[in-house]
Amino acid sequence: MLFAQAPAVKQDLVKKLLSLNWPFLALVTAIVLVGVAALYSVAGGSFEPWASRQVIRYCVGLALLFAVAFSDIRWWLKGAYPLFLSALVLMALVPLIGVESGGARRWLGFGDLSFQPSEMMKIAVVLAIARYYQWLAPQKIWRPDALIPPLLMIGVPALLALSQPDLGTAALFAIIGAGMMFLAGVSWFYFAGAITGVVLALPHAWEMLHDYQKERVLTFFDPDRDPLGSGYHILQSKIAIGSGGLSGKGFMNGTQAQLNFLPEKHTDFIFTMFSEEMGFVGAIVLLALYLLALVFITFMALSCRSMFAKLVAGGMGLTLFAYVFINVAMVTGLVPVVGVPLPLVSYGGTSMLTMMIGLGFVLNAHVNRRVTFRQAELGGLW
Amino acid sequence: MSKSKALHYGAKKKPDYGRKQSYRFSRRALLVGGAQAGLFGLLGWRLHQLQIKEASEYRLLSDENRMMVQLAAPSRGSIRDRTGALLAEDKENLRLLVLPAFCKSLPETLDKLSHIVPISRGTRDRIRRAAVRQSGYHPVLVAEGLTWRQFALLNVLAPQIPGLRTDRSAYRKYHHARPMAHLVGYVGMAGKEEVDLDPVMRLPGFRAGRSGVEKTFDEQLRGTPGTQKFEVDSRGRVVRELGATPSTPGKDLVLSIDHHLQTVAQERLKEHRVASVVVLDVETGGILALASTPTFDPNDVVFRVDPKAWGRIARAKDQPLQNRAIRGQYPPGSTFKVVTALAGLHAGVIEPEETMRCPGVYRLGRARFRCWKSHGGGINVHEAIKQSCDVYFYETAKRMGIDHLAAVARHLGLGRIYDCGLPGQKEGIIPDVAWKRTHLMQPWYGGETVIAGIGQGFVSSTPLQLAVMAGRVATGRAVLPKLVLSPDDPDPEWPLLQLDPRHLDIVRRGMIGVVNEPRGTARRSALKIPDVLMAGKTGTSQVVNAYNEHKLSPYKRETHALFVAYAPADKPRYAAACVVEHGGGGSSAAAPIVKDVMTEALLRDAAKSPAFAGTSAETISGQIAVVGDGG
Repeated sequence: MLFAQAPAVKQDLVKKLLSLNWPFLALVTAIVLVGVAALYSVAGGSFEPWASRQVIRYCVGLALLFAVAFSDIRWWLKGAYPLFLSALVLMALVPLIGVESGGARRWLGFGDLSFQPSEMMKIAVVLAIARYYQWLAPQKIWRPDALIPPLLMIGVPALLALSQPDLGTAALFAIIGAGMMFLAGVSWFYFAGAITGVVLALPHAWEMLHDYQKERVLTFFDPDRDPLGSGYHILQSKIAIGSGGLSGKGFMNGTQAQLNFLPEKHTDFIFTMFSEEMGFVGAIVLLALYLLALVFITFMALSCRSMFAKLVAGGMGLTLFAYVFINVAMVTGLVPVVGVPLPLVSYGGTSMLTMMIGLGFVLNAHVNRRVTFRQAELGGLW
Repeated sequence: MSKSKALHYGAKKKPDYGRKQSYRFSRRALLVGGAQAGLFGLLGWRLHQLQIKEASEYRLLSDENRMMVQLAAPSRGSIRDRTGALLAEDKENLRLLVLPAFCKSLPETLDKLSHIVPISRGTRDRIRRAAVRQSGYHPVLVAEGLTWRQFALLNVLAPQIPGLRTDRSAYRKYHHARPMAHLVGYVGMAGKEEVDLDPVMRLPGFRAGRSGVEKTFDEQLRGTPGTQKFEVDSRGRVVRELGATPSTPGKDLVLSIDHHLQTVAQERLKEHRVASVVVLDVETGGILALASTPTFDPNDVVFRVDPKAWGRIARAKDQPLQNRAIRGQYPPGSTFKVVTALAGLHAGVIEPEETMRCPGVYRLGRARFRCWKSHGGGINVHEAIKQSCDVYFYETAKRMGIDHLAAVARHLGLGRIYDCGLPGQKEGIIPDVAWKRTHLMQPWYGGETVIAGIGQGFVSSTPLQLAVMAGRVATGRAVLPKLVLSPDDPDPEWPLLQLDPRHLDIVRRGMIGVVNEPRGTARRSALKIPDVLMAGKTGTSQVVNAYNEHKLSPYKRETHALFVAYAPADKPRYAAACVVEHGGGGSSAAAPIVKDVMTEALLRDAAKSPAFAGTSAETISGQIAVVGDGG
């Protein structure tokens, strides 16, 4: 028979479908829909040019999410290091053959397609660190020499991102990496030491920053320094959010956004526009949706048996958190403007797809929560 | 819970690091989760600070903070004919708009406005829907084409009616609209692909050429937009202008057309359902008239468009939007005999004095090809052209073969598109062996050469191509049509045709015979101007064949009537071609039209008077020159 094995496969798929965390998926969809409504409003009440494309990207992202969620977790365990290395090679290639856009080289072009290796790295670094702690003997975790591989896995991509220059992504790698090491059980003392080290190294790091980055940091501490230059964004963003008040100015009626005072209002500053029109209530509801998603992810991570699955889910959760926190803190003037989008809401194909793939891995870990691995069955290469 | 079971049974004496690590993960994950919640709390506190505690302060800042940038659409270049008469221009369009977000109550505002400008219930519905659908800060059009009185009144009232805005944009006005419709074309909202190329095209009031010259020369006519910066108060009223970069108006165009001749030609075509006529200045190639009937009024489709009226035009049975003079492809019929004669003489397969007998039918193998009448004996080239004898040209075509005929036809300007600024030209077909092999994947048959000799079968041409052919035969030069005059262009020196001048002379004399000698097919259409002769060739091309004979309506079964001509015969200046679709015989339907239009062209002699040169100063001198001529 041609499809002799079909019933078994089908049963397997049905099982996987049933074990998928559907409420979580509904939550993600709700967040995306908030974004689509916001993009509809930004365009002055039109699905063109942003909202319609965002819906299409969500659909593509959903397909990728399902593909990742239903794939065999063992492939990813096996493929974690090769994926990480290829992402590293691609990132290293960017300064050599990358496409320059807006003063930074972050993209690799393949004909009409362009691709940002640092996005791939955001996934790969989580898988690689999870892979590392999967088979690190638990009693060795506290040893200093066991810290070297994960620190390299974080440090090299972060340095490559800094050289592009992309401060936001570098910070993201650092947050995700440190968070995952903490989850894996690295001793408190190391973290205390690292924080002390960072405080001591800060003046030197300042010297290494580009002028425009210094400028951003300076205007962050004093936005009035240059109200029409780089402080303008923060100031206008704060005016927009603040003038929204408790209940907002109403859907499609944000004067700051509609009268074009906001920069990048459909990408990095979409939260500003949203809270101008929807007010404090709307902003808190959106943040609550994100927090709920994070709670879901934390509990999915707790339910996994293998360290790999735990850390993959936990790491992706950290990614989502870092994105949301940095973005909202940035537009409300808590941290300097670093150019991080609001995940699932900001207009942009790359960040949407990366986030959906990342959430696919969370669901994959959850589907495979009872799976444990034996080193032997995976073959010996790594 | 399985986990708690595992905890009890798994606890043994030796420390189980794996289990310990797992618990540590759980502890730390909850810790991290708690930290995340705490940091979100920080964000919430920040939002509270901005949106609740300091809200009034920021609201004040936001109200002060209203600078508006508006793009100012450039005025589109005007289009004039060779005498300087306006064919298309931008007219000021006074508009009334409302910004729903600033209105206290939209219906009330509209009530107030309707005292000055009548607002129909349909408009009211449209405004209400627009106000709901789009952001309240997008202006909604209430009325356009206001009178100055209304405009002034509204501007006086503006401070009392919040949300009201007036502006001055432009609309396109076409003069001599119906005769010029196909040539000049019309403008419309930019299509999607144009918006993708240039986002400025999304601006309301921005128009792109949709057809005719408006389309071809869109980029020159369009100009570049400017910007205006305003400071507006919290009710959307302009407090002051903060600066502006002016828009650059588009360039003006001058066409070689003579609007008077064009109007005469259009009028003359009226009696037919579908017809077109082209008049060329053979020395410069300038197109003096290019009329096609049925036509339409472009003013109906560019300003205050009534969708129903537009639908009627677009779907009308005889397709008034189509320019037959460049898009109608007709079998040239006997007008093609001019080409066959020249090609035969050039190939040396016929001698000027050689005579043939026309028994009214021509046999090739078992096939029989009929002549329209039995001409008898003694038919030489001159008589064959004059009396339009089919048998003579069947034999000529058979002797030289299709490839030679096609080469000469192309040399005379047939079967190609001219780069003269008219979009949508059709190529027509000049068939040869290679063409049939590539397009139909069939071999060429001898019978097809025979009927090609009288311009039937696969051969097809547009009226513009036929006029160019007449011009080339008349001058012996490779004339090309031209539509746009520019002052810097010198008069073109067209290259000589690669044909023997003696052969051309024989054919020309035949064409003079057609119109002026006894037994000429267009004798009734001789010019009435003393000492000026017209040379021409009639054509009556068959539409029916064995396959479609029974399917066609009586009108569609009728032959096409064609006529090509040039004048004066001794010193050619104007060439013309006319096709009347299903008009019957070329001599009865097409030749009289050409006679009248040609008479008008010769009497006006527009080609000889200096063309309009552009600037306003010269407009005046041009007018004086015309007046002087009249005196």
